[in-house]
Amino acid sequence: MEMNNKNNIPKELLVPMKQREDTSEEISRPSRTFGQNARRTFFKNKLAVVSLIILVIIILMSAFGPSMNQYGLDDQDLSRAKMPARVPVLENISWLGLDGTLSDNFKGNTVEQATLKGVSRYDNAEEFIDIEVIDEGDGSRNSAEVKATYRIYEAKEMTDQYFWLGTDTLGRDQWTRIWLGTRVSLQIAFYAALISLIIGVAYGGIAGFYGGKVDDVMMRILEVLIGIPNLVIILLMMLVLNPGITSIVIALTITGWTGMARIVRGEVMKQKNQEYVLAARTLGRSNWKIIMKHLLPNISGIIIINTMFTIPDAIFFEAFLSFIGLGITPPEASLGALISTGFKSIMLYPYLLIFPAILISLIMIAFNLIGDGLRDAFDPKMHK
Amino acid sequence: MVRYIGRRVFYMLITLFVIATLSFFLMKMLPGSPLNAEDKLSEEQKAIVLEKYGLNDPVPIQYVKYLGGLVQGDLGISFKFSNYPVTEILLDRMGPSAQLGFQALLVGTILGVLFGLIAAISHNGFLDYTSTIIAVLGTSIPNFVFAALLQIVFAVNLGWFPVALWGEFEHTVLPTIALMIFPMATAARFVRTEMVEVMGSSYITTARAKGISEPAIVFKHGFRNSLIPLITVIGPLAVSMLTGSMVIEQIFAIPGIGEQFVNSVFANDYPTIMGTTLLFAFLFVVIILIIDLLYGLIDPRIRISGGKS
Amino acid sequence: MKLKKLSLLLVFGLMVAVLVACGGSDSGTQGGGTDTESADGEKVLNFINGDAIPSMDPSLATDTYAFQFLGESMEGLYRLDKDANPVEGIAIDHEVSEDALTWTFKLREDAVWSNGDPVTAHDFVYAWQRAVDPATGSEYGPYMMGGVIKNATEVNTGDVPVEELGVTAPDDYTLVVELENPTPYFLSLTTFGTFLPLNQTFVEEQGDSFATSTDTLVFNGPFTLENWKSTSTEWSLVKNEDYWDAETVQLDKVNFTVVKDAQTKVNLYETGKVDRTDLTSDLVDQYASHPDYMIQPETSVFYLKMNQTRNEALANKNIRAAIAKAYNKEAIVNEILNNGSVAANGLVPADFAPMPESGEDFREVSGDLVTYDVEAAKEYWAKGLEELGVDSIELELLGDDSESALTMNEYLANQLSTNLPGLSVTLRNVPFEQRLDADTNMDYDLQVSGWGPDYLDPNTYLNLWVTDGGNNKMGYSNPEFDTLIEEAATTLATDNVARYENFLEAEKILMEDAAIAPIYQRAKAYLVSPKVEGVYYNAFGFDWEFKWASVGSAE
Repeated sequence: MEMNNKNNIPKELLVPMKQREDTSEEISRPSRTFGQNARRTFFKNKLAVVSLIILVIIILMSAFGPSMNQYGLDDQDLSRAKMPARVPVLENISWLGLDGTLSDNFKGNTVEQATLKGVSRYDNAEEFIDIEVIDEGDGSRNSAEVKATYRIYEAKEMTDQYFWLGTDTLGRDQWTRIWLGTRVSLQIAFYAALISLIIGVAYGGIAGFYGGKVDDVMMRILEVLIGIPNLVIILLMMLVLNPGITSIVIALTITGWTGMARIVRGEVMKQKNQEYVLAARTLGRSNWKIIMKHLLPNISGIIIINTMFTIPDAIFFEAFLSFIGLGITPPEASLGALISTGFKSIMLYPYLLIFPAILISLIMIAFNLIGDGLRDAFDPKMHK
Repeated sequence: MVRYIGRRVFYMLITLFVIATLSFFLMKMLPGSPLNAEDKLSEEQKAIVLEKYGLNDPVPIQYVKYLGGLVQGDLGISFKFSNYPVTEILLDRMGPSAQLGFQALLVGTILGVLFGLIAAISHNGFLDYTSTIIAVLGTSIPNFVFAALLQIVFAVNLGWFPVALWGEFEHTVLPTIALMIFPMATAARFVRTEMVEVMGSSYITTARAKGISEPAIVFKHGFRNSLIPLITVIGPLAVSMLTGSMVIEQIFAIPGIGEQFVNSVFANDYPTIMGTTLLFAFLFVVIILIIDLLYGLIDPRIRISGGKS
Repeated sequence: MKLKKLSLLLVFGLMVAVLVACGGSDSGTQGGGTDTESADGEKVLNFINGDAIPSMDPSLATDTYAFQFLGESMEGLYRLDKDANPVEGIAIDHEVSEDALTWTFKLREDAVWSNGDPVTAHDFVYAWQRAVDPATGSEYGPYMMGGVIKNATEVNTGDVPVEELGVTAPDDYTLVVELENPTPYFLSLTTFGTFLPLNQTFVEEQGDSFATSTDTLVFNGPFTLENWKSTSTEWSLVKNEDYWDAETVQLDKVNFTVVKDAQTKVNLYETGKVDRTDLTSDLVDQYASHPDYMIQPETSVFYLKMNQTRNEALANKNIRAAIAKAYNKEAIVNEILNNGSVAANGLVPADFAPMPESGEDFREVSGDLVTYDVEAAKEYWAKGLEELGVDSIELELLGDDSESALTMNEYLANQLSTNLPGLSVTLRNVPFEQRLDADTNMDYDLQVSGWGPDYLDPNTYLNLWVTDGGNNKMGYSNPEFDTLIEEAATTLATDNVARYENFLEAEKILMEDAAIAPIYQRAKAYLVSPKVEGVYYNAFGFDWEFKWASVGSAE
């Protein structure tokens, strides 16, 4: 009996249910637009942010760096050729290698012999050479070793001068040339990327949007073009054109846009069948409006990412061309040209190679990491 | 399948035709001929020499003859090496380049996959960052800078390997390392990204829930599935070996095809330039085709059909 | 936890893989490390060659490498000894007729080809005819023989049959050469590659493939060329046991490898793989105090050609004179080239041609004709600008794109535009072959160019600049100059003293006209192992003579 007494609940326990809003659909995080989300994700990526800062600094330096000292691009003076790097204040921290001295280790049978080698290596300017014995040696062949440090700024009576990154074989200030070279390299890369972007987006967009026959024909052409190894075409173009910035940009873009075109086409094809495009179409929007207002914003992410990866490619190709001797005309310089020159004296004046090499690597790393960051930023899955 | 291959081969031929045409007319735009000191020759001599190289005909006829020769595998006679056919120059120089390219691609990809795997497994850990840094450096530092460093450290200072030249296996070590950095770094980045994605996917969670051991999950499920897309980047990587070869062979004095190409460019040896261009293009399209076919065979989600994609 | 272990395992695996790879190759190094030494008592030297040998056909050869290896694997009438005197080759003696137009050479009877055939006078006749035969397409044949050997030019233009060429073989061991004009330097010409004999049967057997590989070559010189084909990057000279003077030849083998990168070359030298390397400017800084360091002076002279036809400014003599004085040659040779090259203040190089009677050096007698002088340059420049009625000039400087050339061209351009107000110079650096093309088409304003002698006489430098000469190519023409050169080759041909007076006068006119602007006389810096003994440099013809060389002790 008692078991059945389900209805026997004290009345006071029964309270009327309050009407509450359904929380299952509630947005627990603050509402953000896609752009805000992307920005948030990007700025959370420390590597990408650091890269961005570095890149901004490099760009600013390429604009203002050359005018930070009194030397010009082609200010030659053989009396100050091949001076090592020397920076005020930092010159007192010896391990940085910015103290304006040249040094190398010399071997000989005895300390004297090794010292003599060192002294004759450095213009025989004995009073400006510090000798530090590393190995006393036992008289056998090359058993003794000394480290000779040559205070070349003192020897040349130029103690009041500072070449922050040293000078090249013609006595031109390397600091000025490196930033001007960076400017040229970045210009080439930006122009090449921009032109590839315009052609690629237009081509891919048209093919993807119109589809059908148009797409068929355009894709067949593209397929043929993609089959052409770009390096070979770039080289052939460089042979035909007069060397210079414009030629390099033309050579780089002549097949450079195909990758972009293919990606854009794929993306447009995907997007144009989405409901929002259909809706816009139903509402009578013109093709042009649809492309500009709807499609383009939606594929912009992928375009930006792809461009971010085109730029370092262009920088590399420019360096490659300069390295094999088909790059920019002197006295203009690019990072590639500077590396190519520095490479020839790699053992002797390593600073001529190291600074531009570090810079080009930094730029490429920065672009790659920013590209990675942007890819994550535009990927809704990565938004948190 | 057969129709698909047929269609692809057809486009391949068109691509090669376009390249042949393009390079032919580009070369015609350049000054220079086999007679680099023309005025030293009498008119009669010039006529005879030009005849020998087929340069007396009007350009369209030269073009048709050139294409005709191509079909028969005849790439003409080198301007630089008297009486030496371009085809033979290319054959002579193929070996070292092929060996280096193959070694670099193989070792580079294997190491790259390992690095990528390590990075993915220790996701966001110390090893991940190390691998990522190596990978970023590898894709960012130009390979000629790297080659010079290798030469100085391992050949000159340590004396472990020969400085340059070609011959024994040890001659190939440094150039191979210099060449493999790029495929290694690219493969590492690629595998890491894929692995991280695959490891976060629902079937891995399911596998975990079923209590399958972690190594089995990593290798049987994760690794395998992230390797498939890797094939798509191997094609471009194989092609990047060609680029690399041009500078690396120069630095290590290797008698390969890249070195030959750069030399021909500087010697105005147009028949050899055209021949090498075509060879590169041929290798390029064939590699891409093979990769695409392989991809279709391996990935069960992709089936090549005869119709349109 | 398991993942951590797994990644450790992978790292370990990776390390093992790397170690195995290194270990494997380490043992390989030990195996093949010392094969370059003369292990079994053979006398072997190892050298670097700057490029492949494009052709070994003496009639078609045009570049220094072809002539180098032709010179060592073949023997002509005479060979140059280390003081540039012609010494016995295939010829043992010769007679010159009164009128100096007929030369009769007596050939040795013990010389044989490497295929066993004897070397006869007919081999010379065939080779020389082949060199001027228009069907051969030789560049050097007509250039070296035209105007020297009778009918050479006519044969080359197809006006007379090849048999009419002034060279005959009355018997197997007598060679008679008839000359167009008396040619005092003819003997030194016969040492040149284009004048080498050829074995007719062999050449005709090989057809088009003649001289494309070791198998398609036949030798009669101190060495045979082994393991070679056109595209080879490694080959050897091996002692030719059949050579008539084989007992003089000490070396058993000389190996050559093609290396272009300057640093790589030095690295090979440092590791003992090669016995000699040349040094670029920067490397000289490093090695100048090295005990193996050596400077080899050469006879090539480099200068600026000023094209008077493309840019009218250069047709003005004052403008040209200004340019010729406006750059610091001493700085170029000491700071940029840094390899022992010396500044040139005239065209004919120093230590090349001694004056006929006094034996003084031509260069010393002629003196410094154009020197670096900014003040004078500025005066000429101002005068030139006034005459032209302009205040600025733009010029293009064409130059080679080799490493030291690049730096020098940049310096030259900078010097000119700094020292001459209103002048702007743009650079065009191109590969050697392309520069030759531009030269032929006269498609340049200023050009850095050079010339090495083809025979031992100032004429080899001076006759370049006669009106419409094949190598003039800059529109220079001065009838007075033409007459002097013409006289030296014809009416004064037998009077050497008068010839040299003409040459002195001609050089002076050339410099007064500022037709060309001399820059430097080349030298090269080398590291040469003490092992290398008796390899000397030829003043003309091919560069290095190995016939009298031997291997010394390594230390």
